[in-house]
Amino acid sequence: MAKKKADEKSNSNDDDSKNENDYSSNDEEPNFSDSDDYVDDISDEELLGDILKTKPKETDGVESVIVVDGVPQVGPNRIEKLKSVINKIFAKIGTIVSEYYPVNQDGHTKGFIFIEYQTPAHAAEAVKLNNFKLDKQHTFQVNLFTDFNKYDKIPDKWEPPEPQPYEGQNDLHYYLLDSDAFDQFAVVSGLGQFVQIWQHSQPDPTVVEDRHSWTQSYIKWSPLGTFLATFHKLGIALWAGPKFAQYRKFAHANVQFIDFSPCEKYLVTYSPQGDPDHQKIMIWDIRTGLEKRTFQPEGPTAWPIFRWSQDDKYFARIGSNNDALQVYETPSFGLLDKKSIKISGIKDFNWSPTDNVIAYWVAEDKDVPASVTLLELPNRNEVRKKNLFNVADCKIHWQKSGDFLCVKVDRYSKVRKEKNETKYSGMYCNFEIFHMREKQIPVDSVECKEPIQAFAWEPIGSKFAMIHGESPNINVSFYEVRVGQAPIILKKFDKKACNHLFWAPSGQFIVLAGLGSNGGGSLEFVDTHEFLIMNTTDHFQMSDVEWDPSGRYVMTGVSFWKTKVDTGYWIWSFQGKILKRINMEKFAQFLWRPRPSTLLTDEKQKEIKKNLKKYYPQFESKDRMRQSKASKELIEKRAALMEKFAVYRDSRIQEYMDSKARRLQLRNNVDTDELDADSDNVEEEIVEFFVKEEITVVD
Amino acid sequence: MKPIILQGHERAITQIKYNREGDLLFSSSKDNKPNVWFSLNGERLGTFNGHQGAVWCIDVDWTSTRFMSGAGDNSCKIWDCETGKELCTISSASSVRTCLFSYSANMAVYTTDKAMKQPCEMFIIDTRIVDDSSSGQQPIFRIPISGPRISSILWDSLDEGIITGHENGELIAWDLKSGKQINRVKDHDGLVNDMQWNKNRTMFVTASKDHTAKLFDAKDLLLLKTYKTERPVNSASISPIMDHVVVGGGQDAMDVTTTSARVGKFDSRFFHMVFEEEFGRVKGHFGPINSVAFHPDGKSYSSGGEDGFVRVHTFDSSYFEYNFDY
Repeated sequence: MAKKKADEKSNSNDDDSKNENDYSSNDEEPNFSDSDDYVDDISDEELLGDILKTKPKETDGVESVIVVDGVPQVGPNRIEKLKSVINKIFAKIGTIVSEYYPVNQDGHTKGFIFIEYQTPAHAAEAVKLNNFKLDKQHTFQVNLFTDFNKYDKIPDKWEPPEPQPYEGQNDLHYYLLDSDAFDQFAVVSGLGQFVQIWQHSQPDPTVVEDRHSWTQSYIKWSPLGTFLATFHKLGIALWAGPKFAQYRKFAHANVQFIDFSPCEKYLVTYSPQGDPDHQKIMIWDIRTGLEKRTFQPEGPTAWPIFRWSQDDKYFARIGSNNDALQVYETPSFGLLDKKSIKISGIKDFNWSPTDNVIAYWVAEDKDVPASVTLLELPNRNEVRKKNLFNVADCKIHWQKSGDFLCVKVDRYSKVRKEKNETKYSGMYCNFEIFHMREKQIPVDSVECKEPIQAFAWEPIGSKFAMIHGESPNINVSFYEVRVGQAPIILKKFDKKACNHLFWAPSGQFIVLAGLGSNGGGSLEFVDTHEFLIMNTTDHFQMSDVEWDPSGRYVMTGVSFWKTKVDTGYWIWSFQGKILKRINMEKFAQFLWRPRPSTLLTDEKQKEIKKNLKKYYPQFESKDRMRQSKASKELIEKRAALMEKFAVYRDSRIQEYMDSKARRLQLRNNVDTDELDADSDNVEEEIVEFFVKEEITVVD
Repeated sequence: MKPIILQGHERAITQIKYNREGDLLFSSSKDNKPNVWFSLNGERLGTFNGHQGAVWCIDVDWTSTRFMSGAGDNSCKIWDCETGKELCTISSASSVRTCLFSYSANMAVYTTDKAMKQPCEMFIIDTRIVDDSSSGQQPIFRIPISGPRISSILWDSLDEGIITGHENGELIAWDLKSGKQINRVKDHDGLVNDMQWNKNRTMFVTASKDHTAKLFDAKDLLLLKTYKTERPVNSASISPIMDHVVVGGGQDAMDVTTTSARVGKFDSRFFHMVFEEEFGRVKGHFGPINSVAFHPDGKSYSSGGEDGFVRVHTFDSSYFEYNFDY
């Protein structure tokens, strides 16, 4: 080897003799061994870090251990039974490697146990079972074994924690502070490709946010308008604040339905498709973004499956086989009093919008009549029960103020059984009105022999409206409910072309609308104070009607989800005056941003109403100013257009005049530039014909 | 005012045209017989009998002595206006889609459809003397159109150039000295069904299936204005006295049977020419409007529809009193 090197060296020397000196020091084999006083400065970590990571540690096993407290204390004879129960619960999470049940002198367990899993990850998962309720007396306290160590080492002397850097939370309610109280609305077009948030400023709306692909299907506002929910393949995103920054994400693959609790504390998400593992209902805490509980769908799946009480304290659903009402409480997300309410044959229920009262109805069963029951929670008091006969179906309608409850009862005179199908005939309808605010809740009944197309309570007030009859004899009736009296009919409109009722959010005004392909898009704006029809108009093939939260405007829309042509949305005043027609290709969804209820006291509101006259001129002058500003802008725009066009046109007319000679030449010197330019060649002919004069009085 | 309804055709109206003075109104229809009417009272003056197929296009020369028509029977005919006598028939290889006299009426142009393996072609013929011999006469120009077919045509005011509108929305300007294309623009996305001059032939308005009518400069085919609707536009016309454009159209004839008149939107719509703002609509037809035309005095206009009727509307005084603020 050395020889060869020497050869090479000599070769290179021949090539380039200048390098000779450089090579001289390398002449001998280098010595690789360390000198005696050399100290290695490379740590083992650096050299074999990846191998060292897997080196067994003392704490390894410990991290996989959990301590469960609150376990029942049992004697030696029942210890095996306890073990199997515990195993059932904890083996779900991962394989249990070992378990230890400490016992005292007489063989009783001490009420706490140790469980070791295969991996620390399983142990961490198992800690989530903390507060697991085994039964009434026993709630598990689950902790990591290492935590004991950690908390044991807490120093005696307290040190003030480092202050966290302040993360400014955007004002989520900034939009309510708009000095002109303009409402916002969201518009979705295409398959969620375009989402726009508009401020409904006067006289023209202004765009607040315009994003491409903001959602993958549709959008939803939270009930108080704080959040905007968008749907994505991986879950739900909530947006809030002035710039619609992302507030939270909730991972739930293929989610299709969501529901907010009324106070916006919780979010329910439901993914009905996919493999059974993913078909689940999840409830989330909106503020923390944490998953609170997961449910498997059972029982009837009409969305919303879970219905919330008005204060977010309880939520309920009908159990499988319609035999129970399951009421859960927050924030523990456990069953109220740990058991569901057995109600066999329960068909439907609804919470009162203002009190923790549930109204439910039970179908007929052999000799037991159908009934509607009002149940107070959490004490499970039956405050009212009414039995009903010959019931085919019931619909529960709460009035928004919670003062009244109407149960629409479809009744039959005859019933036949045909091939497992029940066929009813001689249908008629009863409205059972519950006076919620009166002693013992009296119930009145209104009967209607005609089929009912729609029913709606006035949100604030004591009126209700219904559409009844069969096409073409569709009638609309208005009733009023008074204290201690049966409802009285106030007004009946005959032969109306409508199938839906839309009350203004604050009552008094109502829109009668004919939605869908057979509704024709008819619109009628009615003031129910004196039953004055303010305007009769239409929006052909309209599929949606939405009042703005203040009750000043109505939107009617043709969504491309329903029809393909002439999609778009129109905005009307509450009196039925058209304000804007926005025709938009692939318009899909329009949603006014909801507002929380007013903070003003009743007296204050009354006072404002009383002094309305004082405020009129202020608002009117503001409106006029905005209007004149807008028309000024329009006029300026037009003037600019006209000026530009005039310049262009004048130049062309000049060219046209210049070529007159050539035109004359082409038409035998006859001037045809103006109609009367060539008077020589015109023959006058007098034509007489009879003109009938008609005077028609236009009403 | 109540419109005069001209009932004389048995099938859909394809085109209507006033003569230069506006006393006569010509109409063509798919029923093979073009009609001529007194525009003042709607009295029918006569019919031009002889075609064997749907008449697609008509024109009358500036002296109102000769009338020309092109039809689906693969012929273009020139008639004596006064007597309704056929002067000559020019046979073509496929249906004649457009025909037009030049400004001087010394020449005429007609175009044929791309059909039955025949290409779309444009023929320019000499019409100084029209008699039986004209049938065999060689055209001055015969220009095959290789691209999308011609669907509408205009002749300038100096007998020098032609503008053609095409099936794909293209507009092409032709120089007649050389027979070559000199300009080409594509501002429409659909078939250009109709083109009409303003009074002094410096601008023209196009009507397209892409739901718009557009105003172009004649010289360099510059797009000036766009009038948007929600339905295919079949015809548009510029008022000779006001800055107004009337636009007619509606749901395609083939889709109409499945939809109601309300969806069809068979209204004449009036736009301000400069501001592009719609300010009025005239209802009445129960099929799409195929052709609209302003009377040369600007005091009335007519529309012909798929329903087979021609409606002559005389404007009320309020039309002339209405002004845009600017």
